[in-house]
Amino acid sequence: MSQLQHERALSNDAEAIEDEIADLERRLAEAKERQRQAQQQRSVVQESNLGVIPVPSPSQTILHSTANHFLLLLSDSALPLGSFAFSSGLESYLAHNKSSPSPSHSTSIVTNKPPKTKLPPPSFTSFLPLSLSSYASTTLPYVLAAHRDPAQLALLDDTLDATIVCTVGRRASVAQGRALLSIWDRSLSSSLPPSSTSAEAAAAILKPFSALLRSAGAPPPSSTTTTTTSSSSNPSTSGGGRSSGWNDPPPVSAHLPPLFGAICALVGLSLEQTAYVYLLSHVKALVSAAVRAGMFGPYQAQKTLASRQVQEMIGALMKREWERGVEEAGQSVPVMDLWIGRHEVLYSRIFNS
Amino acid sequence: MNSPFPKSSSAAGEGKIIARLQPDGVSGLETITYQYPLKLISPSKPAEDKSVLVFLLSYGGGLVGGDQVNLSIQVHPQAKLTIVTQGHTKVFTSTKTDIVTRQTMRAQVASGGALCLLPDPVQPFAGSVYEQTQIFELAKDASLCLLDWVTQGRSARGEDWSFVRWLGRNEVWTLPGGDDSGARLLVRDSLLLDSAQAHPQMKTLRESMHAIGIMGTLILRGPLMKSLGEFFLAEFTALPRIGARDWRSEDAKKAEVIEGLSTAETWRRDRLKMEKESGLLWSAALVRGCVVVKFGAPEVEAGRTWIGSMLVQEGSIGEIFGDHALLCVR
Repeated sequence: MSQLQHERALSNDAEAIEDEIADLERRLAEAKERQRQAQQQRSVVQESNLGVIPVPSPSQTILHSTANHFLLLLSDSALPLGSFAFSSGLESYLAHNKSSPSPSHSTSIVTNKPPKTKLPPPSFTSFLPLSLSSYASTTLPYVLAAHRDPAQLALLDDTLDATIVCTVGRRASVAQGRALLSIWDRSLSSSLPPSSTSAEAAAAILKPFSALLRSAGAPPPSSTTTTTTSSSSNPSTSGGGRSSGWNDPPPVSAHLPPLFGAICALVGLSLEQTAYVYLLSHVKALVSAAVRAGMFGPYQAQKTLASRQVQEMIGALMKREWERGVEEAGQSVPVMDLWIGRHEVLYSRIFNS
Repeated sequence: MNSPFPKSSSAAGEGKIIARLQPDGVSGLETITYQYPLKLISPSKPAEDKSVLVFLLSYGGGLVGGDQVNLSIQVHPQAKLTIVTQGHTKVFTSTKTDIVTRQTMRAQVASGGALCLLPDPVQPFAGSVYEQTQIFELAKDASLCLLDWVTQGRSARGEDWSFVRWLGRNEVWTLPGGDDSGARLLVRDSLLLDSAQAHPQMKTLRESMHAIGIMGTLILRGPLMKSLGEFFLAEFTALPRIGARDWRSEDAKKAEVIEGLSTAETWRRDRLKMEKESGLLWSAALVRGCVVVKFGAPEVEAGRTWIGSMLVQEGSIGEIFGDHALLCVR
């Protein structure tokens, strides 16, 4: 017998043994299943006298996994990011469009230009798609990039810091980012199984990130947002953005989008889940701001959140931003920068942005 | 016969400007080359010598669909370069949406050097597809004044953000210095205006622009622009609060006028009135050592009047670069 034939025979033997083991295992599993069903039927017979419908015991359902547990935590409105303090320009949008100086009387003199598009009165239905589109085009690429490669967190944070060219927007992003980092440090990180890959990755990425943030002289992140009210006096130097002023910027600032992406990746959320929760959280924050601004009540709020329109918009925006690299991220609704930037000059404010 | 224009470089749409300080202490051009469709002109007998002036032009007064322009700029230590245009940069309609008109500018400014770019706005026609990238690398003590603005198109023809796509990106980087680790991004300002709707429920591009006819961004950086930057921040802080009421009596208001305000106060009062009447909105922020000003107005001329008024009132631009730097904003 040649060497080759010998080897072939040996491997045939090995395959036969594997087949046999597989067959035995399958039969064992079937027998156990029959036993389980028989036991269940017996209990059904016993219980049917009491009129109780059998309930299968909770199995390893889709919900019962660490990733889904964290999905529910991170999508919870009760997550103490302090999002309630920010309206993402909604308050400013309302103020600007209520007291809107109608340009008609001054422009009518100018020339024979066609009349301007008449603006609809301010409404949440007008603001929501604008805000969501702007939020997605400016920040979602950073969430996705940080999820795809959490090790890039510090660089993504610094790059994003260079793109938010508005004091109020920086304040909102940094306050929520620091709150999330604080929740991670104090609450979430300890529940990762020690010596798991995610725990190691967290130690390798988020620990140095926190250290870098502290070295930059930032006060330790607090668990809730500071509700700065003194900011009106001097927009150039105020705010949680801790603007570095004319000096060199700090190495990291802790903006929300990249931290959110990295933390979701570490606790096992998929890229799709992360993007969806990120955008849905923005809608939730806007809706809640609208309720507190008195635009509508809690039922309308839930109706908006549940609507197909919101679901479809989130899906469409995820698709739009999915392939966009962070260097291509940018503002798709320029007037949003004006509204958010001019939140500083509102006479009365209930929000920080 | 010698051509009155500088000699052209070889690659299509390529241009190069190198400004340096001459022995007489005046900024001059070491190199100025360009190729169709780009055209660069520097007056041979400049009226002013605070900075060297270059007109950034294009043959036919605009960029035709598919045109590519690559301009590279170097400003040597202590030199000052001013770039202006003559009229709007028109972006003509592309015959197909995959034909992209591109303009790329890459500028390096050495220590003590300064670059002032106050061009006319870009006017994208209906159906145009345009991408503009402007990257500025600044040494530690270099200064930059950059205005980038875009209009709704030919409003007299009813164009109102009727183009296919307009992407504009401005980046300010630090040049890697001796002690520094490397280049660092200070500011990236990007506009993505796309007529494609992600979802029918989303707003159209025109609706998203919210009746704004011109949108502008001014970026200021460096020791020479500090005073101007602080001026914008101070004026922003001094804006009247939205929703506040003027409780003074008519007599008190009149008394104020009669008693006489300082020139600066009169100017501010008039400017605020103009802002209100024209519907101009603006904001200013100090971001990573740069002052970034954003403004939008329903009418193009209101935007031009406003930015011109701000720059002239503060005066730095005229003092540092000469009045020719303000050609396009008044």
